[in-house]
Amino acid sequence: MRLLSRVAERLYWMARYLERAEDTARLLRSHTHLIMDIPSGSEPSWEVLLQTLDAEEGFSRNHRVANETNVLRFLMADLENLSSIARSIQAARENVRTTRDVLPAEVWEHVNELYHYSREHSASSVGRRNRHRFLEQVIGRCQMINGLIMTTLCRDHTNRFVRIGHLLERADMTTRVLDVGIGTLMNEERNPSTTDPLVWASVLSSLSALETYRRTVGPLVEGAEAVDFIFRDGTLPRSLKFCLNGIREELAPMQNNTAAMKVIDRARRSLSRFDPHKAGRLDMHRFIDKFQANLLALGTEINVAWFLTEQA
Amino acid sequence: MKSSWNTYDTGPFFDELITPAGTPRVAARRAVNLFKEMTNEEMNARRSAAELAIIDMGISFTVYSEGENIDRAWPFDMIPRIITGKDWAKVSRGLAQRTRALNAFIDDIYNQQRILKDGIVPAETVLESGNYKAQCAGMSPRYGAWAHICGTDLVRDKDGRFYVLEDNLRVPSGVSYMLENREITKRVLPELFENYSVQPVDDYPSRLFSTLASLSPRDRRRPCVVVLTPGIYNSAYFEHSFLARGMGAELVEGSDMFVDDDDCLYMRTVDGPERVDVVYRRIDDDFLDPEVFREDSTLGVPGIMRAWKAGNVAIANAPGSGVADDKVVYAFVPDMIRYYLNEKPAIRSVKTYLCMIEKDREYVLNNLEKLVVKPANESGGYGLMVGPHSTSKQRDKFSRLIQENPRNYIAQPTLSLSTAPTYIGDTVAPRHLDLRPFILSGKETWVTPGGLTRVALVEGSLVVNSSQGGGSKDTWIVEGSR
Repeated sequence: MRLLSRVAERLYWMARYLERAEDTARLLRSHTHLIMDIPSGSEPSWEVLLQTLDAEEGFSRNHRVANETNVLRFLMADLENLSSIARSIQAARENVRTTRDVLPAEVWEHVNELYHYSREHSASSVGRRNRHRFLEQVIGRCQMINGLIMTTLCRDHTNRFVRIGHLLERADMTTRVLDVGIGTLMNEERNPSTTDPLVWASVLSSLSALETYRRTVGPLVEGAEAVDFIFRDGTLPRSLKFCLNGIREELAPMQNNTAAMKVIDRARRSLSRFDPHKAGRLDMHRFIDKFQANLLALGTEINVAWFLTEQA
Repeated sequence: MKSSWNTYDTGPFFDELITPAGTPRVAARRAVNLFKEMTNEEMNARRSAAELAIIDMGISFTVYSEGENIDRAWPFDMIPRIITGKDWAKVSRGLAQRTRALNAFIDDIYNQQRILKDGIVPAETVLESGNYKAQCAGMSPRYGAWAHICGTDLVRDKDGRFYVLEDNLRVPSGVSYMLENREITKRVLPELFENYSVQPVDDYPSRLFSTLASLSPRDRRRPCVVVLTPGIYNSAYFEHSFLARGMGAELVEGSDMFVDDDDCLYMRTVDGPERVDVVYRRIDDDFLDPEVFREDSTLGVPGIMRAWKAGNVAIANAPGSGVADDKVVYAFVPDMIRYYLNEKPAIRSVKTYLCMIEKDREYVLNNLEKLVVKPANESGGYGLMVGPHSTSKQRDKFSRLIQENPRNYIAQPTLSLSTAPTYIGDTVAPRHLDLRPFILSGKETWVTPGGLTRVALVEGSLVVNSSQGGGSKDTWIVEGSR
């Protein structure tokens, strides 16, 4: 099946925004839980969320204090914030609106409903009382849309670009979730042994990977093992390795893929060389930075090869 | 519901379902009886179901209001308009004949101009019209078909006869609503179909595809057909997307395509450029090609006219078709039918006074309160004056406008648009309507069974446009009584 470059681009961004909305919701949910688990006075800051989502600059434009309410409102409901849940959902909807003719009708219906839900509830769900319910709804509805796509879309170019969008954004968000964990631990100076497992369990659970970790690795959550699992377990759908392999699989049969494949293979090599057991927290942080730079480069190559319209 | 049906008064108009004596017409009898038996609660429940279906199906149209585009749900009246197959056969024949003549006219105008040379149509009315595109001269599209998709507006006067009000040959819209109306009726009033044999309409997208495919310059099993839309902010975007889906064609915007050095048209896909055979364009001539028409247009494709003239791509409707979509040219269509086809017009036109002709102008200026005055070149019911409903101030204004620019105005007697029972609030009342069938011309000519019935929801109003408070009805062409 043929697919217009413009439509491919919009499908790809629809998927990225949906994934971003879901993953941000996961991140906020697990961070909220983490903060409740750690004795008051020594909780990690809310600011760390802004750091990992690269949202400090946008935040400081309109806010002075990075307290719970301000940070959560900014990340959940602020439509001016390009990485807020509400804004991501809005952007996803805009992209579906103009690609309805290649997607099953229900995809539009559900994305539209998600948009109306978020518009109505995001601002009133910033407080802890309603927050959980809102985040659960966003995650659940995004999963429903993903499931719908997975079970109805032909495995053609349409599906290919949706999948690439999801995987690329997910890989990026997974590194950010890890960065929150690492950032939290780096910022604190107390006895690490008591909070470490809590933080890593929180990271794993925000990736829906805690149970799998226990079964695959063991019941005790330990930093290097957790990082290794999230980075390099090829069977875990939110691991970096899984995402890269998936994107590679989709790009391999495409024409014009040389540059993009090069970046993927570079990222895969550096991932296989990185050993979390030997790395300190700072090394991990640096690795994540480098990995994110590779994802960014991959996005650029995809854009040049299949979306930018200078083919004539 | 019985009561409001029993007091239903058709007044002086032709009513589609009810005779002047108040009894249902033969073809409508079973439908009217079914509605009569329903309670108000039942009627309201069906109406809510229809409204819900419209929202679920995402049927909307866009109105531009106060600087903003607003998506509105499509207003629908669930009582269908019923026309017998016998009546329709005559109309259908007339429409096909008329469209053949119009296409012959367009082809002639851009080639020999015989009809002008023979003095049947005054040359200046055609050649000085903004719809005449000199750039199209010398072209002769396949099968002599220029206006491949034609939407012709019909009304039914007091005598019950159909009259052609206007021919829309540029980018007529509304066909998707015709299809959706049937879909909604099937959902909310399934039992209504039990006693009727209604001609189906839902093969329109495949008929459209066949028509478009027959124009392909390359002989391929499945030519590459695309629908060119100005984009999501266009009021008919819903329809563009609907038809693209219905035909399994790509919905493209101008920037998705380019013309290469070989004068062929290509679209940009993830597998690289792919050649396009047929463009069903839903943008006006003026925006089609910035190299030829409006330079500032970003909606079209630079060079597409070059590709068309080289015969490497078909464009539907062909550029320049609008030359026959002009209210002055309209007045000459019966002459065209006689001239090109040597036939007698099988469907009537409305008597039209051309203000450019002195005798006609004089009559118009003296009878403004009786006539409908229309600008020759507007659509959507804008800028017209309905004499019997006008104020003296409006008549003065139009009198001035006509004298300033007589070429730009025509006038017609006010027709009494027919009515049909329409469910308003919780009573059934007569409302005026028109009908827009669609005629496809390619290798073959095909007329939709029925068309889009538009209804003026305001009591006494004759303005049926959805942008101005109009609604619509499902239109049934039914076979003999059973």
